[in-house]
Amino acid sequence: MIDEATLAGLLRRSIPDAQVQVFDLTGTMDHLRVSVRSRAFAGASLLDRHRMVEAALREARADGRIHALEIRTEVLE
Amino acid sequence: MADPIREEIEREVAANKILVYGKGTKDQPRCGFTLETIEFFNRFGYPFEVIDVLENVPKRSALSEMTDWPTLPKVFIAGKFYGDTDILGPMAEQGELEPILADTFGGQRPAAVVKLH
Repeated sequence: MIDEATLAGLLRRSIPDAQVQVFDLTGTMDHLRVSVRSRAFAGASLLDRHRMVEAALREARADGRIHALEIRTEVLE
Repeated sequence: MADPIREEIEREVAANKILVYGKGTKDQPRCGFTLETIEFFNRFGYPFEVIDVLENVPKRSALSEMTDWPTLPKVFIAGKFYGDTDILGPMAEQGELEPILADTFGGQRPAAVVKLH
């Protein structure tokens, strides 16, 4: 379980301009869909954008706060 | 020195035009995302293979290192890594996936729409 502010904080450590929306898929705040918008995604493939998001959230994945994660990314213009 | 786990993965990737490393099997997926991936490819009708690596920690580690991708499922098409349905879904919506699949299967139409008689 993780709250939106904590998750957004983790993302912004490596993607400082990230605009983050979190959707709770199961009502337990550990199966999540996260939508991230950032200028940092410009020119990056979808695979690399997802790698950036996963890398930013690595510790919350490893300790189980996030069990399942769907990722949506968008380039911030 | 050759790593037998990596060699096994390379053999599997080379032997299957669409290959999903997941949790559970086609008949008994043991993870929502693996099920979602199976349903995703069922819609296209091309043959695909699912290899269960849920209990195989060394193989999961090798796969993650080889792809720089921490999670399952992991999808390979024609030997190339495509991540999961978070990547493939948008590709399909943009019309990018069908040509790749058609090319991979040499222009053969998917089994689901082939009329045998």
